[in-house]
Amino acid sequence: MTETNGKLRYVPTTCPYCGVGCGLNLVVNDGKLVGVEPYKRSPINEGKLCPKGATCWEFVQSPDRLTKPLIKKNGKFEEASWDEAYDLIASKFTETYEKYGPKALGFQVSCRTPNEECYIMQKLARVAFKTNNVDNCARICHGPSVAGLSLSFGSGAATNPFEDVLNADLIFMIGANSVEAHPLAARRVLQAKKAGKTIIVCDPRFTPTARLADHYVRYNPSTNIALINSIMYWIIQQDLHDKEFIKNRTTGFDELKATVDKYADVESITGVPTERVKEIAKLYASAGNAVIIYCLGITELTTGTDNVRSLGNLSMLTGNVGRPGVGVNPLRGQNNVQGACDMGAYPNVYSGYQKCEDDATRARMEELWGVTGLPSEYGVTLTEQITQCGDPIKAMYIFALNPVVSYPDSNHVMRSLEKLDFLVVQDLFMTETAKYADVILPGASFAEKDGTFTSGERRVNRVRKAVDTPGDAKEDWQIFVDLAHKLGLKGFDFNSPEDIWNDVRRVTPSMAGISYERIEKPEALHWPCPTLEHAGTPILHREKFSSADGLGHFFGLEHRPPAEVADAEYPFTLMTGRLIFHYHTRTQTGRAEVLHYEVPEAYVQINEEDAAQLKIQNGEKIKLRGRRGEAEAVARVTDEVAPGVLMMTMHFGGAGSVNQLTNTALDPLSKMPELKHSAVAVEKIAGVQ
Amino acid sequence: MVYAWTTNADIAKVAECGGAVTGLLKFALENDIVDGVLAVKKGVDIYDAVPTLITDPAEVAGTAGSLHCGTLLLAKLIKKYLGGAEDMRLAVTVKGCDAMGIYELAKRNQVNLDNLLLIGVNCGGTVSPVTARKMIREKFEVDPNDVVKEEIDKGQFIIVTKDGEHKGISMDDLEDAGYGRRSNCRRCLMKVPRQADLACGNWGVIGDKAGKATFVEVCSDKGADLLSKAVAAGAIATGAANPKGIEIRGKVEGAMLKLGNKWRARDFESLGEGKERLQKIMEDSSRCVKCYACIENCPICYCVECSTKKPYLVPPGVLPVPFMFHLIRYAHVADSCVNCGQCEENCPMEIANSLYMHSLQVGMEKMFGHTPGVDMELPVLALVEEQAERERLFKTGEDQIYNVFK
Repeated sequence: MTETNGKLRYVPTTCPYCGVGCGLNLVVNDGKLVGVEPYKRSPINEGKLCPKGATCWEFVQSPDRLTKPLIKKNGKFEEASWDEAYDLIASKFTETYEKYGPKALGFQVSCRTPNEECYIMQKLARVAFKTNNVDNCARICHGPSVAGLSLSFGSGAATNPFEDVLNADLIFMIGANSVEAHPLAARRVLQAKKAGKTIIVCDPRFTPTARLADHYVRYNPSTNIALINSIMYWIIQQDLHDKEFIKNRTTGFDELKATVDKYADVESITGVPTERVKEIAKLYASAGNAVIIYCLGITELTTGTDNVRSLGNLSMLTGNVGRPGVGVNPLRGQNNVQGACDMGAYPNVYSGYQKCEDDATRARMEELWGVTGLPSEYGVTLTEQITQCGDPIKAMYIFALNPVVSYPDSNHVMRSLEKLDFLVVQDLFMTETAKYADVILPGASFAEKDGTFTSGERRVNRVRKAVDTPGDAKEDWQIFVDLAHKLGLKGFDFNSPEDIWNDVRRVTPSMAGISYERIEKPEALHWPCPTLEHAGTPILHREKFSSADGLGHFFGLEHRPPAEVADAEYPFTLMTGRLIFHYHTRTQTGRAEVLHYEVPEAYVQINEEDAAQLKIQNGEKIKLRGRRGEAEAVARVTDEVAPGVLMMTMHFGGAGSVNQLTNTALDPLSKMPELKHSAVAVEKIAGVQ
Repeated sequence: MVYAWTTNADIAKVAECGGAVTGLLKFALENDIVDGVLAVKKGVDIYDAVPTLITDPAEVAGTAGSLHCGTLLLAKLIKKYLGGAEDMRLAVTVKGCDAMGIYELAKRNQVNLDNLLLIGVNCGGTVSPVTARKMIREKFEVDPNDVVKEEIDKGQFIIVTKDGEHKGISMDDLEDAGYGRRSNCRRCLMKVPRQADLACGNWGVIGDKAGKATFVEVCSDKGADLLSKAVAAGAIATGAANPKGIEIRGKVEGAMLKLGNKWRARDFESLGEGKERLQKIMEDSSRCVKCYACIENCPICYCVECSTKKPYLVPPGVLPVPFMFHLIRYAHVADSCVNCGQCEENCPMEIANSLYMHSLQVGMEKMFGHTPGVDMELPVLALVEEQAERERLFKTGEDQIYNVFK
């Protein structure tokens, strides 16, 4: 409630889970969190929450929280003072840097942390150690969106806000199970459906989102380019493309046309009959306003960037960019995945996507930060850093990530972390990854610090401190300030997250107009917002595209098969999926009672025919075996996936970790590993009936 | 029934309609009649209604004035965060739905009515904050940030801008265009909560007292005691209510009830009958994603062991959620539903939960003659002593909570 009596009060803040950025009230009584209440004033979700949002306060006060810095001595973690921990980190990182140079260090930032912390960590890495080896976990979710949309449109972010789908006549969703992954964005789709708008959902899986569709198209996993090319072929064939838009606002149409000409019939690749493709093409192209929504079914593949660019192609072909009710919208999976990229926790850009390789930009940043010698090269990306552990990376700082569970090929991750000379993990809990650390620093949850999260619609939402950190745990921004001071750095005299945010504004033209004061109300602001007078930019590319030439770029892109396809030895195609009941590696949601009750362990969806053939019962625990490892999961026998296709939950560690099976093969343009496609064999577990 | 107004100049300055409610709350707190006041105050702007617990009388004035975008239900908050008022005497400002919710929770021993002093306020309905802002932008063509006051009066939604401009549009027009009050508010027939200790409000205040006094209907001994003490202490002044005003008050209430009945007929007819209605409910509720908001926010739901979390009734972790989830809610809540609307307003999947439950409740009320929320009469077949009843059922092997078909 209000702060008047110091007892019961409501603290309006932003949900710590997906990238929709729902508002909610944390309820505080006597300095303790006691619940979440709807924040009906929020225009984003109007008080409504999904199962995760409604329970997001529970993990905060878990007895499992880390409350003291820990230093590993003789293989065992011992409690230490902050000073000891800081001294050790400062000396080890300095030593490594002096001995091996900037390429020997790696910095990894989680997208669940506020902008201010993403910014200060990359600033510290670049200023102190002159390295661009700093990356965030967007690399393994929407890295291809950043790369692909930048190439197509000149900006790597979603073009239109969530609510704007209500202005569309048709919503085209592909590789997006929004009902589970982004429930309050799915609500907008649902509202559009109720208003009579047409919904098309393309997905290999008949998901809860597919159930909303007027037209559901099942296609073979990872055949996105073929499907979209064929849709474009039939749009052009039926003369439904927007010639005016193509002429005035784009370049590269001839290249596109020459390519899609080869994709008239793709049934042998996609499994979708040509007549159906033709029908979908007509529906999409005939709609007055059509918006594209996509998610990780598009990005988490070795074709990720090309898949995204294909959607860029499709939207531009029909003139569906740059006004209300249209656009191309990636749904961002984490609360601050947009922001982590925006803040320059990225190996080739500073905040606001200012390129490190550009001499003038670098000179400007050196002046603003008061340093010299900032590096120009493209730093090492997230999973490549793992591969480089030991050589040349010797010391690594992992902030709020759990790579052992969340990165592809868990066995590879664990072997790699062991090769490091020195590892710092800063987190809330003793995660599977923290066990590999030399120093563990106890940080703060979203409820224990101020800051901002930038949602998938580029809206910079306030996060407000409701309670203090437990024990000796510290607000993460403070940890970086302290470390910077230990390292003797200048430019880190921040006394609050707002101070850090103002530093972001000072060096980032596209955010300069977004002050804390202006985002006090939950309408907040969408970047770009260059001045205090600017009203923000909910819709991108209105008059011209954000690219250097102001044009949208078509690309002729060919279908490529995934790196590892099913064969006689590993006959099943394995996809991964996100559940409504869990967030990432469950360090937070696994500690909410009802979420744990709903889904306590990994499961895998398997088609009824396959299950019958293998004599697998619904609910039986089965083993999946692949080239890199094996995993166990409860079988859910269903017709939601096609024969030969499996979908396994992405959230679990241990025996149920799907990443023991996933592939580290990379998308060449975005370095996205192929999390969504690997080949496995299915076995019954001996003794299980 | 009297007209009343505050004698405190500071409250009078910030209050509406004489500030009797604020004055009474302050008096109760100052004179140790209650330990705290639970009311609603303005948050980030007039569209943001924030519940607040006040223990310092100086802060009561901060809750003066009404916020029609406050679609909160205070009843459940008393149970969830204030220990059901078991150890604390609380004065609470209540709308009809708050009062009804409190009675239902009291029947189930979840709030202690003896410790509650209910100051009822008449309520013509509330508008969700986001809808209100949209409506003001699109229908009033005014920037919602420029509005300093809104009210619902004489069938109109009226706004006052920072430049002092008044603008009103008829509620009927707004609601036909898809704006206006929440759907449960439209169907509400609890416009003056007389089950509270005092029922206050501006409906029917006429003549020179218009805008300067509040009607106060004394509804209980507790209410009479508070009012007479406040008057005796000079905290509140009263005057005889104008008979013409009483008549007008009746007419306003009557008109609101008529409108409520019209909406009931319209909404319930839209559901169809029998199988058609069932089909519609099953389809709509199939989108459920198990956020449990309908249960968490329901003033009837309080069970420690919720049947929706029995794996043999509703398998965990499965979407679409089997219809049994909703059947359990209908079976356990329908006879006592007070149509507070929270289950619908907070549903992320736009399921018309409140409409369905309310339609069932109205049907059951016709069959069994039980009206929820108005007094302490027990419902027909709801679980009232949850733990004890579960134990009895377990021991006897029965599956009937009450043998209503005997």
